[in-house]
Amino acid sequence: MIMFNYLKDTPTIQKISINRSVLFGIGLLIFLSIAGTLLVPQFGSYANIRSMLLLAAFLGLASLGQTLCALLGGLDMSIPYVIGSSNILLAALLNWGVPWLPACLIVLIGGLAVGILNGVLSFRIQGQSLIMTMGVGLAVVGACQILISTGSVYGGTVLGTVPQWLRDVSSIAGTTFGLPIPPIVIIWIVVAAIVVTAMAKTSFGRSFYAVGGNRLAASRILISEYRMWLIAYAISGGMSALTGMALLGFSGGGFVGVGDPYLFTTIAAVVIGGTSLMGGWGGYGSTIVGTLVLTFLTTLLVGLGLSYAMQQAVFGLLIIPIVAFYARDRSIGDQI
Amino acid sequence: MNLNEKARSLLTRNQHLLTSVCLSAFLLLVAAFRAPQLFSSSGIGSAIIVLAPLVLASLAVTPIVLAGRGGVDLSVGPLLGFLNVTLVAWLVEYGYSSPTYVIVYLVGIGVLYQIIIATIIIYVRVSPIIVTLSAYLVLTGVNLVILDRPSGVAPEWMFDWGNGATVFSPVFFVLCGMIVLWAIFSRTAFYQQILLTGGEERMAFASGVNTVGARFGAHAVAGVYTAMAALCYTALIGSGDPTQGSTYTLSAITAVVLGGTSLAGGRGGGLGSILGSICIYLISYVLATFNFGTVSGFVTQMSTGVVLVMSLLVNSAISRPAGETK
Repeated sequence: MIMFNYLKDTPTIQKISINRSVLFGIGLLIFLSIAGTLLVPQFGSYANIRSMLLLAAFLGLASLGQTLCALLGGLDMSIPYVIGSSNILLAALLNWGVPWLPACLIVLIGGLAVGILNGVLSFRIQGQSLIMTMGVGLAVVGACQILISTGSVYGGTVLGTVPQWLRDVSSIAGTTFGLPIPPIVIIWIVVAAIVVTAMAKTSFGRSFYAVGGNRLAASRILISEYRMWLIAYAISGGMSALTGMALLGFSGGGFVGVGDPYLFTTIAAVVIGGTSLMGGWGGYGSTIVGTLVLTFLTTLLVGLGLSYAMQQAVFGLLIIPIVAFYARDRSIGDQI
Repeated sequence: MNLNEKARSLLTRNQHLLTSVCLSAFLLLVAAFRAPQLFSSSGIGSAIIVLAPLVLASLAVTPIVLAGRGGVDLSVGPLLGFLNVTLVAWLVEYGYSSPTYVIVYLVGIGVLYQIIIATIIIYVRVSPIIVTLSAYLVLTGVNLVILDRPSGVAPEWMFDWGNGATVFSPVFFVLCGMIVLWAIFSRTAFYQQILLTGGEERMAFASGVNTVGARFGAHAVAGVYTAMAALCYTALIGSGDPTQGSTYTLSAITAVVLGGTSLAGGRGGGLGSILGSICIYLISYVLATFNFGTVSGFVTQMSTGVVLVMSLLVNSAISRPAGETK
């Protein structure tokens, strides 16, 4: 994709495209809020907004890594498996009597390690990162379940008590310093602020766009593609582990399937927000909008009485028009 | 060209098969020691019945993957499920269950669906992963609306298809017919155009390859094979199931990758996908002969993941010509 026209036009296209997608997303959010308030009783109530923010926080944290990988033109399909694994692993470690701090650290380091493994293995075959990360994810979740359920009769579920502080972090009734907002939402906001600022202002953040936009140009200004690729996948693994642990506090029991919905919703949040899967365009700010759109939409559909299956169908029907609106590829004739 | 050169060129062209050939040979050997009943008439018969939908689904994904641009049909499983569910809930229910109706319906809907998907990918120019992911979500939902739980019956003429007591069951002939069709298809100039399109689309376009036609054709072929996969799947389970069909997406793509076809496009082939499917079947078959108790499902999951990663690494190591960057 090294074309003079393309290079010359990129900054403008990029700016317009990002602004257009974020504006469109915000417009969609406003529309959904109005529709929700009119159609679903209690949609605008504080309790409902709090629960939507809580669900958005889980999805938002899980989508951070997916966004970084997408910016480089890769995908991380291991996210649901890492979420599920860290969820049951933390529950099992706590059951076995490991104190909470080392237990959380072990899980977090495990997540980072899986992410780095993903990065190392998929770097040489970037076009196939989808299936490579899927393979790693399957291996990890299989190994984790074998480790945990050897000698137990409950395959895939870990029963036991979740410490009260973890429940407080991510349960709907949790409070932060007296404020009636679950701490995980505050954590998400802080993480989001740091990431958005870092992506926009630091040379580290800009490097992702440099590599995703044009690998040759990036290597000419001494940005290591390998290093950025590893960092993106490592962050993805780490954030997935964090989400898995937070979900343990939310659900109150270890269950490996807890990550399953995040396989497609993280990608949906990324593309609805306006980040291109080809790399180089978009950012975490867009993904936050995408996350909120998905969460508002789910709540609206649930409020309207649609089953889970129909919600999925509506998501699917919406994704193509939304993406077609601002993220079309160029025609083959224009690419020559 | 003398014999030596001929053999060498044959080897080079089929490099991508190395992993799946070695792996399936190894697994067959293990199976021969641990569960030799696989090689009896009924053993092979039931293996074919179980394997047929997977082989056909992986052959359906293959042309789309070969046509490149990161095209993976994530929706192959739900489409298979959709065809299964509608066959049971509509055709059988309203009495249109003669073989002609069923096959015309399945192939017609399969091809029509794939043409719609190809149109969106080519003319709306949204990346194939997003399009097929959306289709996955839509069809998974629609399947559950049509049939909310496993129920219904397969057409009457299909009743004895699923018992697999002998090798030469009707499913065997369907499978063989489709494989022969594939062999013919892969020797056409059209197939070469799909490979060229997938290998380097801009170069193919500039050299006068009809890339749009190649991509449409690849999708149409995928539609036909998904239809046949749905037929064999209905025969296998003898009823309609709204959710199990979707699981074929992962196993079909895994089979394609084990068979050495690159998801980046342009490299690989149908024989690999067939061998890849056989490997997947043999992995769970062989693992089932060990006594893992409650964790057996997890062992299968882990082994699939490890085998997938290994085969990707081996394939990327052996099949990258010098100077290629990706």
